[in-house]
Amino acid sequence: MKFFRLFLIFGLSVFTHRALDAATLPEMWAERVKSVVAIDYVTETEDERRMSTAYGVAIDSQGTIVLPSAAISARIDPKHLSRFRAYIPGEAVGSDATYLGQDAYTGWHYVRVSNSMAKELIPITRWTAPKGAKRLGLSDFVWGIGLRNKEEDFIPYLMQSHIAIVESLPQVTAIAQQEVAGPGLPVFDQDGYFVGLATSSFAQTYLEFSKMDRIGSPVMLVDVEESSAFLVSDEVLPVLSRRPEQVSGRPLAWFGAYGLEPLDREAAAFLGLTSQSSVVVSEVLEDSPAEKAGMKAHDIIVGVDSVDLPRFRPDHVATDYVERCVLKHRPGDNLKLTVLRGANRINLNVVLGDEPKMIREAESKYFQRLGLTVREFVYADAIERRTSVKLISGAIVSYIKSNSAIDGSGLMPDDWIKEIDGSSVDSFTEVVKKLTSIENDLKRKEFVMLVSRGAETAVLRVKLH
Amino acid sequence: MKVIVFALGSHVFKQSIVKFSSARSTPVGGFLPFSLIVVLAIFGPFLGHLEAAGMSRGFSALLNSVVRIDVRQVNYEGGTQHFDGSIGSGVILTEDGLILTNAHVVSPKAVEVSVTLSSLENVGAKLVGWDHWTDLALLRLDMDEVARRHLSFTHASFGDSAKLYVGQTVFAVGTPFGLTRTVTRGIISNTSQYFDPERNEDGYETGLFNTWLQTDAAINPGNSGGPLVTEDGKVIGITTRGYTGANNLGFAIPSSTAREVVSALLKNGKIIRSTVGIVPGALQDLEDFYSLALNTGMLVNSVYPKSPAAVAGIKAGDILLSINHVKIDGRFPEQIPSILNSIAKQPVGTELVLTIKRNAKIQDLLVKTEMLETSVGEERAYDKWGLSVRKISRIYAREHGRSDQNGVIVIGVQPGFPADVAGIQRGDIITAINRTQISSIDVVTQAHDLFSKKPEATLLEVEKDRRVAFVILKP
Repeated sequence: MKFFRLFLIFGLSVFTHRALDAATLPEMWAERVKSVVAIDYVTETEDERRMSTAYGVAIDSQGTIVLPSAAISARIDPKHLSRFRAYIPGEAVGSDATYLGQDAYTGWHYVRVSNSMAKELIPITRWTAPKGAKRLGLSDFVWGIGLRNKEEDFIPYLMQSHIAIVESLPQVTAIAQQEVAGPGLPVFDQDGYFVGLATSSFAQTYLEFSKMDRIGSPVMLVDVEESSAFLVSDEVLPVLSRRPEQVSGRPLAWFGAYGLEPLDREAAAFLGLTSQSSVVVSEVLEDSPAEKAGMKAHDIIVGVDSVDLPRFRPDHVATDYVERCVLKHRPGDNLKLTVLRGANRINLNVVLGDEPKMIREAESKYFQRLGLTVREFVYADAIERRTSVKLISGAIVSYIKSNSAIDGSGLMPDDWIKEIDGSSVDSFTEVVKKLTSIENDLKRKEFVMLVSRGAETAVLRVKLH
Repeated sequence: MKVIVFALGSHVFKQSIVKFSSARSTPVGGFLPFSLIVVLAIFGPFLGHLEAAGMSRGFSALLNSVVRIDVRQVNYEGGTQHFDGSIGSGVILTEDGLILTNAHVVSPKAVEVSVTLSSLENVGAKLVGWDHWTDLALLRLDMDEVARRHLSFTHASFGDSAKLYVGQTVFAVGTPFGLTRTVTRGIISNTSQYFDPERNEDGYETGLFNTWLQTDAAINPGNSGGPLVTEDGKVIGITTRGYTGANNLGFAIPSSTAREVVSALLKNGKIIRSTVGIVPGALQDLEDFYSLALNTGMLVNSVYPKSPAAVAGIKAGDILLSINHVKIDGRFPEQIPSILNSIAKQPVGTELVLTIKRNAKIQDLLVKTEMLETSVGEERAYDKWGLSVRKISRIYAREHGRSDQNGVIVIGVQPGFPADVAGIQRGDIITAINRTQISSIDVVTQAHDLFSKKPEATLLEVEKDRRVAFVILKP
């Protein structure tokens, strides 16, 4: 007790806001649990309505919450997300929250809780270690918070472990011996300082035996509720304030190389690239900043901004590294890349562009009588179909309701609608206009579409009953 | 419902291919397993009534012209060159020993063909030519051997498949499952059965230019290539396909098609066909929409990029009204093969006048035909690497939207060999070796020759699902 008082006085005098006012783990726990919340939200599409749950930390006094990137699927358009609610761990009733969007660089999602809830929360930055504090090292004791599910009112529980390894993946990541926190939830050291944010867990490999394969085949299982890995606080704190400017997450820097793949180690040795990692460019997209900078397919990226790529383990971390180098920039920024092409090292100066409209951002419309959703044809559709991006037109079938008027006509999801009733449809607006008039004309018995699928097209006749 | 057909073939002794597929499964080339033979023996039709059919002189001559064909063929799959065997049937057409069979029984991959005559004597034979598009192949008996051993045989002659009627009695003759010559009896169930074009198990295109005779005469694997004949012993079809899991649904290529193919194969050893690069569709009830009288024109479903039709300005959704001012009728799918055949028969480079209707506008377009090619490229196996490949052809590149023909497709790897160790898998595309683009399969062969003489690390650029990996083949 005497020691505790002494510490408190010391803390107040020197660190003011950083003072740690509890000494025992249960006391520290009681305060730090106030930095975490549970969030649930609804994803709504034509044929589906699904509730999801995620856990996050409060980052400021306005009630801004950071959720891990896996909390919301990257394929979902934010306009399909609704009814965000936030819950204080252990409390049955939540309150409304607002989705602010995703940050491209960290992948984190941002949510804002109500003012009254914000007052009950303590920002995670409150537990930041003082400057010059000991860095996290092997065997250090760490503890963190897990949350039970909604049926159990998200009751918080304690997890503790010791550090097994600290590695650049490419962000500095600590791996504990056992699960130490729920993904998205904080990890602390024995003094109660914030040392990191749990990421999604590593897969555990199990051997499965069957009659077919006696030596067993590996099965990877991932624990989605608890994780043993966390991004260290030095990686988290400087980027916590990267709040998205828009719900869409834009502006997004765009480079335009498709299929970045780590260079195989033996191939790297063959090419004399032993002391570093490097990344193969599978394709250079048409009209992209990479193409304009003179990048070619099969170029090997060996350096960014005049610095060789560090050597990463495992190899695939190198591709994340290059992607993050792009995403921390804004459209219009310069990015210097060094590539190996044949025997030559070539310096390329890429002026980053604005990410073209993504599939999840494409406009879409559902036609109830037809039982069909069409969406705008976007850049990624042209890439996927190996079509020139200059031919972007028409619409893509994104959903066919089973047993609807259109089901059975031969139309399939992902078909590209090129003509309706014999005349070409050059824009999404035109497709919607034509389909709307067909949908509203109750006397119509049939209509005809020309669609493209794979390398071929076909005329399809749709009977309306 | 899509029902899939099996080729009646040949690979009865190749257990690895024996797949007994239900009617909804997809592979062409599934075969009845041996266990079914017993069932067929018990429930098979009673065959004691040849006299009732009037055992004509023509019929007995026909019987002595039907042969069993044993084939040993090279197989490049699995990363190594190896051989496998198969059995089919065939019919001798001339006194100088020409034999007609199926292309899926004997292909250019055959290295040894052995024919069993009706006298049960074995004679060697050579491939004269094949045509996978109609699934027909022509062999010639080793006539020196026939003379030396004083062997004799009869030969069959064609009947007119166009004169067949539904209900007419027909006989299938062949060597099902390798059984000594077997005759089964049935009727013509349909004179013009249509199947969508498809690919055989090696990937070759088939079924574009003919419809099929359908019969309920019992047809089993091993019947492939045998004749379907009328009561007077005339060959009106070559039995080719059957349904897996069905009863007595057999299909034969009509003699009208076989006659054309035989004469062309005799002349050139291969058939050169013309194409304009359109994928046709049946109009079937779309006439109102296109403001057409019934039985007028054929729908253009698709036009291949850069093909003669595309160059001439034909577009998907156009209606082809006539070819060289001869009106065509593509109301039903059954009518399409003969329309395609009429284009195919033109010499390559012929300028055709295609009359096209687009909306209200009718116009004549001049289209210069090009040669019909398969998408299957040349295959080779590289034993030191345990890697077998197929060249990317012009047609494969077009079908898969590739900008050039560089590269080879991996069709097999042998476990434990360098290609397997490097993580190469079937379906991958190798585009470069030691940083040289694979513009021809010889580039691969040269690198392999070098590796064989002096094994050294070899750098490959491999595409897997559009993602590029650089890998090393290690000695």
